[in-house]
Amino acid sequence: MQNLILYSLSNFIPETILVVTIIVCIIADLIIRKKSFAVTFVAIVGLVLSFVFVVKQWGLSMSIFSGMLAIDNYAVFFKLLFIISTLFILLFVETSKEMKTASHKNEHVYLILSLTTGAYLMASSVNLIMMYISLEMVSLTSYILAGYLKKDKRSTEAAIKYIIYGAASSGIMLYGMTLIYGYTATMNINEIFLYLSKNPITDTPVLLASVIMISAGFGYKISSVPFHFWTPDVYEGAPIPITAFLAVTSSAAGFSVLVRFFLVGFANTEIITAVKWQEVIIVFSIASMIIGNFVAVWQTSLKRLLAYSSIAQSGYILLGLAVVNSAGLFAVILYLSAYLFMNLGAFYVTILIHNKLGTDNMDEMDGLGYRSPFIGVTMAVFMFSLAGIPATVGFIGKFYIFSALINTNSPNLTWLAVVGLLNSVVSLFFYVKVLKHMFLNKPEKPLPELDYGYANILITLLLAVPTILFGLYFTPLLRLAENSIKIFGLN
Amino acid sequence: MLSEFGQIFVFMIIAVILIAFIYVVVRFIAPHKPSRQKSDVYECGEETEGETWIRFNIRFYVIALIFIIFDVEIIFLFPWAVVFREIGFIAYAEMAIFLLILIVGLIYAIAKGDVQWDKPEPVIPKLERQLFSAKPDINKKDNQY
Amino acid sequence: MIDIQYFLILSAVLFSIGVIGVLVRRNAIVIFMCIELMLNSVNLSLITFSSFFSNYYGQIFVFFIMTVAAAEAAVGLAIIISIYRNKESINVDEINILKW
Repeated sequence: MQNLILYSLSNFIPETILVVTIIVCIIADLIIRKKSFAVTFVAIVGLVLSFVFVVKQWGLSMSIFSGMLAIDNYAVFFKLLFIISTLFILLFVETSKEMKTASHKNEHVYLILSLTTGAYLMASSVNLIMMYISLEMVSLTSYILAGYLKKDKRSTEAAIKYIIYGAASSGIMLYGMTLIYGYTATMNINEIFLYLSKNPITDTPVLLASVIMISAGFGYKISSVPFHFWTPDVYEGAPIPITAFLAVTSSAAGFSVLVRFFLVGFANTEIITAVKWQEVIIVFSIASMIIGNFVAVWQTSLKRLLAYSSIAQSGYILLGLAVVNSAGLFAVILYLSAYLFMNLGAFYVTILIHNKLGTDNMDEMDGLGYRSPFIGVTMAVFMFSLAGIPATVGFIGKFYIFSALINTNSPNLTWLAVVGLLNSVVSLFFYVKVLKHMFLNKPEKPLPELDYGYANILITLLLAVPTILFGLYFTPLLRLAENSIKIFGLN
Repeated sequence: MLSEFGQIFVFMIIAVILIAFIYVVVRFIAPHKPSRQKSDVYECGEETEGETWIRFNIRFYVIALIFIIFDVEIIFLFPWAVVFREIGFIAYAEMAIFLLILIVGLIYAIAKGDVQWDKPEPVIPKLERQLFSAKPDINKKDNQY
Repeated sequence: MIDIQYFLILSAVLFSIGVIGVLVRRNAIVIFMCIELMLNSVNLSLITFSSFFSNYYGQIFVFFIMTVAAAEAAVGLAIIISIYRNKESINVDEINILKW
């Protein structure tokens, strides 16, 4: 027993480092007692250390803590994604004017780190208990972060909406987990799969109900329709760096656990025909794409537009899951890594605009492309990438998802690819609308030029360059994705 | 023979009958002489003061929040105590780390002043410059109108 | 031995009451109480299954659900305090700056 625990702990180093970093940050914050970069610096050091140990886990395949967590390439991929996005978010917070108005000083640093720790656990959890706890760890910290500007009415309103939706949907998810436990007498998803594939499935309504209830919890994290109601409000009300964090880390974590739950626990032809979860996922993804894209067309706030855009993006990613083969999973991984750069970039440009204009209303952005060409051009890159124009990384993601849909035969999903393509055309309309405001609409009176510091430009370039580079030379991404999905053993 | 639910049912019936019986007996035996002092609100013998629906200090609320968190985390000590002997020292170390993290949280709450009951001195807003120097200062004692 | 169905039906009824409460109530604190009711109904059915299968997964899960529920209640109440300070109301119908 002792040896087992020690063995597990020795493979738990990345998470341990993050937890220690959180505690050091709290103590440092208590000692310094004023706003300081030192706390952020400690956090960055901790993240980099954790990065080193995560990379060392590449290639391992084991389960630790008596089947609670799995260490494999899939988890490592997601952990790397979380580290990169957390590093960017810490820099975003440092350069955002909005976050400086908060009455808290350094609290955001360790809240962000706790969210990352929760996301780590989500990516590697293979047990329903662990899935629930890690999901709640991510949720609880994101509620606090959404209400971080506690003097700001919009921020607190975002927080209360978020927590009511979040708590209710996690309660529904728990009931679904109970039903599965009652059916299979186990909570480990590998054992659930063994049980379901060895025994004839008799009570399909129970299993279908539990699968739908569980997807309520995960679907709320990835903001897929019909669990998306919080998304626009929270994205608009929360401070923009936090919104970016929720849009990337929190939803990627949701995808990591959703994919693992379905593709480890239920990926078998007999189970799919009996439980019909594939149809459920298809319905969710079509609804997300349609509602996300069509409602986004009417938005005037850039943050709200990005919120609906991320609902639509989660619809595209769910398409990859609905294929249930290795090509689809490959596309999901690829799309998520593309999503990291382009979505963070779009939000960072929004932060820069908000810093100067104090608003994210698109009517006020008329002529912004001429007032600051740098902002205009980088925004164009991110918007085209989100829309999936060739020569950007977003195109690669969409291309692989649609080709996975077309190449599969059982069942024939080509019509789904057509639906996705039509939705992409609609999405192009509102992404270009942002650029139209920036370049084609003339402001009523000439406005002064805006100039940004080197730090701002450097961070934007760190996101814009990969967006284009990986769009042109994407072999490294393909190799990464290929190695990440080996453990699932799909055909 | 009664089933298990039958036994519970009989038990419930007996309980209801017993309580009804006591109420009826009290109705007949007890003297009934109400007075103002008897029907007053009972507050440990003190004279009641003010309304029932008063606004509580918000500090009760914050302390209750902190209490809830620290109180419920202790739940993990029970399963730990069951397996403590089997696992040995490492279990002890794990629980020590867990409690240490909780203590850091407590220190954080204390340092942020959330468990402090005394109110900090209220800062009264002051006008930096005199708006109308000609106007007499009404706060001064010797300026009686 | 009482049949397992009775516990499960009780748990399902409690869960439904909780869900309906979340949907129809307008006071944020009452909504949180309904969510607690949902979580407790889950606890009841987990313990039922756990004693039925005589394995301990369910009971361990209950410990964690209780602590997470407490943490969630603490965060929720803190957020309610801050929204009350900003808006002087905790009625969810009046929380309506952000829409569409």
